[in-house]
Amino acid sequence: MRHWSIPVALAFVLGLVFVPLLIMLRGIQATPPGPLETRILWGAKHHMLIGNKAQNNPLTPSAASLADGREAFSHYCVACHGVDGQNTGVPFADKLSPPAPSLASRDVQSYTDGQLKWVIDNGIWPSGMPGSRGVLSDDEIWSIVVYLRHLPPAGSVGEPEMYSH
Amino acid sequence: MFINIHQQFSSGGRDVRFQVTRLRNRLGHAVRIFGVILLTLGLSASSTKPASPHHIEVVAKRFAFEPADITVKMGEPVDLVLTSSDVNHGVRIRELGVDLRVTKGKKAEANFTPRAAGTFVGHCSVFCGSGHGQMTLTIHVVG
Repeated sequence: MRHWSIPVALAFVLGLVFVPLLIMLRGIQATPPGPLETRILWGAKHHMLIGNKAQNNPLTPSAASLADGREAFSHYCVACHGVDGQNTGVPFADKLSPPAPSLASRDVQSYTDGQLKWVIDNGIWPSGMPGSRGVLSDDEIWSIVVYLRHLPPAGSVGEPEMYSH
Repeated sequence: MFINIHQQFSSGGRDVRFQVTRLRNRLGHAVRIFGVILLTLGLSASSTKPASPHHIEVVAKRFAFEPADITVKMGEPVDLVLTSSDVNHGVRIRELGVDLRVTKGKKAEANFTPRAAGTFVGHCSVFCGSGHGQMTLTIHVVG
Protein backbone atom coordinates (compact mmCIF):
# COMPACT_ATOMS: atom_id res chain seq x y z
CA MET A 1 0.00 0.00 0.00
CA ARG A 2 2.80 2.29 0.93
CA HIS A 3 4.78 1.85 -2.30
CA TRP A 4 1.84 3.38 -4.30
CA SER A 5 1.66 6.58 -2.32
CA ILE A 6 4.84 8.21 -3.68
CA PRO A 7 4.03 7.86 -7.44
CA VAL A 8 0.43 8.96 -6.85
CA ALA A 9 1.54 12.03 -4.93
CA LEU A 10 4.11 12.81 -7.60
CA ALA A 11 1.54 12.51 -10.39
CA PHE A 12 -0.85 14.72 -8.44
CA VAL A 13 1.77 17.45 -8.02
CA LEU A 14 2.85 17.21 -11.66
CA GLY A 15 -0.77 17.45 -12.75
CA LEU A 16 -1.33 20.40 -10.50
CA VAL A 17 1.62 22.19 -12.07
CA PHE A 18 1.59 21.04 -15.66
CA VAL A 19 -2.10 21.14 -16.52
CA PRO A 20 -2.48 24.84 -15.70
CA LEU A 21 0.86 25.50 -17.40
CA LEU A 22 -0.34 23.71 -20.54
CA ILE A 23 -3.59 25.67 -20.54
CA MET A 24 -1.73 28.94 -20.13
CA LEU A 25 0.59 28.12 -22.99
CA ARG A 26 -1.87 26.66 -25.51
CA GLY A 27 -5.29 27.84 -24.38
CA ILE A 28 -8.46 25.75 -24.85
CA GLN A 29 -8.43 24.67 -28.44
CA ALA A 30 -11.05 22.67 -30.27
CA THR A 31 -10.09 20.88 -33.42
CA PRO A 32 -12.60 19.68 -35.99
CA PRO A 33 -13.83 16.17 -35.14
CA GLY A 34 -12.64 13.20 -37.18
CA PRO A 35 -15.00 10.95 -39.17
CA LEU A 36 -15.44 8.52 -36.27
CA GLU A 37 -16.26 11.27 -33.77
CA THR A 38 -18.67 12.80 -36.26
CA ARG A 39 -20.44 9.49 -36.80
CA ILE A 40 -20.72 8.74 -33.09
CA LEU A 41 -22.05 12.20 -32.31
CA TRP A 42 -24.49 12.10 -35.24
CA GLY A 43 -25.96 8.86 -33.92
CA ALA A 44 -26.06 10.13 -30.36
CA LYS A 45 -27.83 13.35 -31.32
CA HIS A 46 -30.35 11.79 -33.67
CA HIS A 47 -31.22 8.80 -31.53
CA MET A 48 -30.47 9.72 -27.91
CA LEU A 49 -29.84 13.35 -27.12
CA ILE A 50 -32.44 15.21 -29.18
CA GLY A 51 -35.88 14.27 -27.89
CA ASN A 52 -39.45 14.69 -29.10
CA LYS A 53 -38.87 12.44 -32.09
CA ALA A 54 -42.47 11.31 -32.49
CA GLN A 55 -44.33 14.63 -32.29
CA ASN A 56 -45.84 15.82 -35.54
CA ASN A 57 -46.11 19.42 -36.64
CA PRO A 58 -49.66 20.58 -35.89
CA LEU A 59 -49.39 23.16 -38.68
CA THR A 60 -50.14 22.11 -42.21
CA PRO A 61 -47.59 23.43 -44.69
CA SER A 62 -49.27 26.20 -46.67
CA ALA A 63 -48.41 29.59 -48.12
CA ALA A 64 -49.65 31.20 -44.88
CA SER A 65 -47.74 28.96 -42.45
CA LEU A 66 -44.62 29.26 -44.61
CA ALA A 67 -44.90 33.06 -44.54
CA ASP A 68 -45.37 32.92 -40.75
CA GLY A 69 -42.30 30.72 -40.44
CA ARG A 70 -40.20 32.99 -42.63
CA GLU A 71 -41.19 35.95 -40.49
CA ALA A 72 -40.59 34.20 -37.17
CA PHE A 73 -37.21 32.96 -38.46
CA SER A 74 -36.31 36.53 -39.35
CA HIS A 75 -36.64 37.71 -35.73
CA TYR A 76 -33.23 36.50 -34.69
CA CYS A 77 -32.44 33.09 -36.22
CA VAL A 78 -31.09 35.01 -39.20
CA ALA A 79 -28.26 36.46 -37.08
CA CYS A 80 -26.44 33.09 -37.18
CA HIS A 81 -28.23 31.15 -39.93
CA GLY A 82 -28.86 33.82 -42.56
CA VAL A 83 -32.20 34.60 -44.15
CA ASP A 84 -31.96 31.45 -46.24
CA GLY A 85 -30.99 29.22 -43.28
CA GLN A 86 -27.76 28.42 -45.10
CA ASN A 87 -25.51 31.02 -43.43
CA THR A 88 -25.45 33.36 -46.42
CA GLY A 89 -23.96 36.68 -45.36
CA VAL A 90 -23.23 35.63 -41.77
CA PRO A 91 -19.63 36.75 -41.25
CA PHE A 92 -18.83 34.46 -38.33
CA ALA A 93 -20.81 31.35 -39.30
CA ASP A 94 -17.71 29.23 -39.94
CA LYS A 95 -15.81 30.69 -36.99
CA LEU A 96 -18.22 29.38 -34.37
CA SER A 97 -17.21 26.18 -32.64
CA PRO A 98 -18.79 24.07 -33.95
CA PRO A 99 -19.57 26.13 -37.07
CA ALA A 100 -23.22 27.06 -37.65
CA PRO A 101 -24.57 24.25 -39.84
CA SER A 102 -26.50 24.79 -43.03
CA LEU A 103 -30.09 24.09 -42.10
CA ALA A 104 -30.60 22.59 -45.55
CA SER A 105 -27.91 19.96 -44.84
CA ARG A 106 -28.71 16.28 -44.48
CA ASP A 107 -27.59 16.42 -40.86
CA VAL A 108 -30.33 18.92 -39.99
CA GLN A 109 -32.99 17.77 -42.42
CA SER A 110 -32.81 14.20 -41.14
CA TYR A 111 -34.23 15.26 -37.77
CA THR A 112 -37.98 14.73 -37.45
CA ASP A 113 -40.25 17.78 -37.15
CA GLY A 114 -40.62 17.06 -33.45
CA GLN A 115 -36.83 16.99 -33.00
CA LEU A 116 -36.42 20.29 -34.84
CA LYS A 117 -39.00 21.78 -32.49
CA TRP A 118 -37.06 20.34 -29.53
CA VAL A 119 -33.81 21.87 -30.78
CA ILE A 120 -35.42 25.30 -31.21
CA ASP A 121 -37.07 24.99 -27.78
CA ASN A 122 -34.01 23.82 -25.88
CA GLY A 123 -30.98 24.68 -27.97
CA ILE A 124 -27.96 22.41 -28.29
CA TRP A 125 -25.41 22.60 -25.52
CA PRO A 126 -22.46 23.23 -25.74
CA SER A 127 -22.82 24.62 -29.26
CA GLY A 128 -23.87 28.23 -29.75
CA MET A 129 -27.48 27.23 -30.49
CA PRO A 130 -29.67 28.83 -27.79
CA GLY A 131 -33.08 27.61 -26.65
CA SER A 132 -36.03 29.78 -27.67
CA ARG A 133 -38.77 28.47 -25.42
CA GLY A 134 -40.56 31.49 -23.98
CA VAL A 135 -38.88 33.80 -26.46
CA LEU A 136 -40.97 32.46 -29.32
CA SER A 137 -44.44 30.97 -29.00
CA ASP A 138 -45.08 27.32 -29.84
CA ASP A 139 -47.03 28.43 -32.87
CA GLU A 140 -44.09 30.46 -34.16
CA ILE A 141 -41.64 27.62 -33.55
CA TRP A 142 -43.80 25.17 -35.46
CA SER A 143 -44.08 27.66 -38.30
CA ILE A 144 -40.27 27.90 -38.31
CA VAL A 145 -40.17 24.12 -38.70
CA VAL A 146 -42.40 24.52 -41.78
CA TYR A 147 -39.95 27.12 -43.11
CA LEU A 148 -36.97 24.82 -42.45
CA ARG A 149 -38.62 22.15 -44.61
CA HIS A 150 -39.07 24.65 -47.45
CA LEU A 151 -35.88 26.70 -47.38
CA PRO A 152 -35.19 28.88 -50.41
CA PRO A 153 -32.12 28.19 -52.55
CA ALA A 154 -28.87 29.34 -50.91
CA GLY A 155 -28.19 33.01 -51.54
CA SER A 156 -31.54 33.66 -53.21
CA VAL A 157 -33.03 35.90 -50.51
CA GLY A 158 -30.15 38.20 -49.69
CA GLU A 159 -28.21 38.71 -46.49
CA PRO A 160 -29.34 39.65 -42.98
CA GLU A 161 -29.98 43.37 -42.89
CA MET A 162 -27.97 43.78 -39.68
CA TYR A 163 -24.69 43.00 -41.46
CA SER A 164 -25.10 45.46 -44.29
CA HIS A 165 -25.32 48.70 -42.28
CA MET B 1 -147.97 60.92 -54.88
CA PHE B 2 -145.70 63.85 -54.07
CA ILE B 3 -146.14 63.16 -50.38
CA ASN B 4 -145.24 59.53 -50.89
CA ILE B 5 -142.14 60.41 -52.81
CA HIS B 6 -141.07 62.95 -50.19
CA GLN B 7 -141.67 60.47 -47.37
CA GLN B 8 -139.63 57.83 -49.19
CA PHE B 9 -136.87 60.37 -49.82
CA SER B 10 -136.90 61.49 -46.21
CA SER B 11 -136.74 57.97 -44.85
CA GLY B 12 -134.07 57.14 -47.48
CA GLY B 13 -131.97 60.16 -46.29
CA ARG B 14 -132.09 58.91 -42.72
CA ASP B 15 -130.89 55.49 -43.95
CA VAL B 16 -128.00 57.06 -45.81
CA ARG B 17 -126.96 59.12 -42.78
CA PHE B 18 -127.23 56.05 -40.61
CA GLN B 19 -125.14 54.04 -43.04
CA VAL B 20 -122.51 56.79 -43.22
CA THR B 21 -122.31 57.04 -39.43
CA ARG B 22 -121.98 53.28 -39.09
CA LEU B 23 -119.28 53.19 -41.77
CA ARG B 24 -117.43 56.02 -40.03
CA ASN B 25 -117.54 54.15 -36.71
CA ARG B 26 -116.28 50.95 -38.31
CA LEU B 27 -113.48 52.84 -40.06
CA GLY B 28 -112.45 54.46 -36.79
CA HIS B 29 -112.42 51.09 -35.09
CA ALA B 30 -110.31 49.59 -37.89
CA VAL B 31 -107.85 52.49 -37.67
CA ARG B 32 -107.51 51.96 -33.92
CA ILE B 33 -106.88 48.21 -34.38
CA PHE B 34 -104.36 48.96 -37.14
CA GLY B 35 -102.60 51.40 -34.83
CA VAL B 36 -102.41 48.84 -32.04
CA ILE B 37 -100.97 46.28 -34.50
CA LEU B 38 -98.37 48.76 -35.73
CA LEU B 39 -97.40 49.64 -32.17
CA THR B 40 -97.06 45.98 -31.25
CA LEU B 41 -94.94 45.28 -34.32
CA GLY B 42 -92.77 48.28 -33.59
CA LEU B 43 -92.17 47.21 -30.01
CA SER B 44 -91.35 43.63 -30.98
CA ALA B 45 -89.02 44.86 -33.72
CA SER B 46 -87.18 47.06 -31.27
CA SER B 47 -86.85 44.17 -28.79
CA THR B 48 -85.26 41.87 -31.46
CA LYS B 49 -82.77 44.52 -32.56
CA PRO B 50 -79.19 43.07 -32.41
CA ALA B 51 -77.45 43.76 -29.11
CA SER B 52 -74.60 46.26 -29.20
CA PRO B 53 -71.18 44.55 -29.39
CA HIS B 54 -69.26 43.66 -26.24
CA HIS B 55 -66.55 46.31 -26.28
CA ILE B 56 -63.22 45.14 -24.86
CA GLU B 57 -60.05 47.21 -24.66
CA VAL B 58 -56.73 45.41 -24.26
CA VAL B 59 -53.37 47.07 -23.70
CA ALA B 60 -50.21 45.29 -24.82
CA LYS B 61 -46.85 45.94 -23.21
CA ARG B 62 -43.66 43.95 -22.80
CA PHE B 63 -44.45 41.11 -22.02
CA ALA B 64 -48.15 40.88 -21.16
CA PHE B 65 -51.63 41.83 -22.25
CA GLU B 66 -53.84 43.71 -19.82
CA PRO B 67 -56.33 42.16 -19.25
CA ALA B 68 -54.86 38.79 -20.22
CA ASP B 69 -58.01 36.82 -19.53
CA ILE B 70 -61.39 37.67 -21.06
CA THR B 71 -64.77 35.96 -20.97
CA VAL B 72 -67.36 36.51 -23.70
CA LYS B 73 -70.66 34.87 -24.63
CA MET B 74 -71.15 32.57 -27.58
CA GLY B 75 -73.07 34.37 -30.34
CA GLU B 76 -72.44 37.80 -28.83
CA PRO B 77 -70.64 40.22 -31.15
CA VAL B 78 -67.29 41.33 -29.73
CA ASP B 79 -65.44 44.51 -30.51
CA LEU B 80 -61.80 43.98 -29.48
CA VAL B 81 -59.59 47.05 -29.41
CA LEU B 82 -55.82 46.63 -28.98
CA THR B 83 -53.41 49.39 -28.03
CA SER B 84 -49.72 49.32 -27.14
CA SER B 85 -48.01 51.24 -24.39
CA ASP B 86 -44.43 50.57 -25.49
CA VAL B 87 -43.28 48.88 -28.70
CA ASN B 88 -44.97 47.19 -31.65
CA HIS B 89 -47.16 44.29 -30.65
CA GLY B 90 -49.87 42.13 -32.15
CA VAL B 91 -52.30 39.41 -31.24
CA ARG B 92 -53.44 36.45 -33.25
CA ILE B 93 -56.16 33.99 -32.30
CA ARG B 94 -56.61 31.69 -35.26
CA GLU B 95 -59.82 30.05 -34.05
CA LEU B 96 -61.61 33.40 -33.71
CA GLY B 97 -60.15 34.96 -36.85
CA VAL B 98 -58.39 37.68 -34.85
CA ASP B 99 -55.15 39.05 -36.27
CA LEU B 100 -54.18 42.51 -35.07
CA ARG B 101 -50.96 44.49 -35.18
CA VAL B 102 -50.43 47.74 -33.40
CA THR B 103 -47.75 50.40 -32.97
CA LYS B 104 -47.31 52.54 -29.88
CA GLY B 105 -50.06 55.11 -29.50
CA LYS B 106 -52.24 53.59 -32.21
CA LYS B 107 -55.32 51.39 -32.07
CA ALA B 108 -56.25 48.26 -33.93
CA GLU B 109 -59.71 46.77 -33.82
CA ALA B 110 -61.21 43.35 -34.54
CA ASN B 111 -64.89 42.50 -34.70
CA PHE B 112 -65.94 38.90 -34.33
CA THR B 113 -68.79 36.76 -33.08
CA PRO B 114 -67.69 33.53 -31.38
CA ARG B 115 -69.70 30.59 -32.71
CA ALA B 116 -68.33 27.87 -30.44
CA ALA B 117 -67.71 27.65 -26.72
CA GLY B 118 -64.20 26.99 -25.48
CA THR B 119 -60.95 28.56 -24.41
CA PHE B 120 -58.86 30.18 -27.11
CA VAL B 121 -55.31 31.34 -26.55
CA GLY B 122 -53.78 34.07 -28.66
CA HIS B 123 -50.14 35.11 -28.77
CA CYS B 124 -48.29 38.29 -29.51
CA SER B 125 -47.67 38.14 -33.25
CA VAL B 126 -44.97 40.80 -33.51
CA PHE B 127 -41.59 39.93 -32.07
CA CYS B 128 -41.07 42.25 -29.11
CA GLY B 129 -38.15 40.84 -27.13
CA SER B 130 -37.03 38.08 -24.79
CA GLY B 131 -40.47 37.42 -23.25
CA HIS B 132 -42.38 37.62 -26.52
CA GLY B 133 -43.26 33.92 -26.52
CA GLN B 134 -44.95 34.23 -23.14
CA MET B 135 -47.34 37.03 -24.13
CA THR B 136 -50.73 35.35 -24.25
CA LEU B 137 -54.30 36.59 -24.39
CA THR B 138 -56.87 34.00 -23.33
CA ILE B 139 -60.50 34.31 -24.42
CA HIS B 140 -63.09 32.08 -22.75
CA VAL B 141 -66.26 31.70 -24.79
CA VAL B 142 -69.15 30.51 -22.65
CA GLY B 143 -72.52 29.22 -23.83
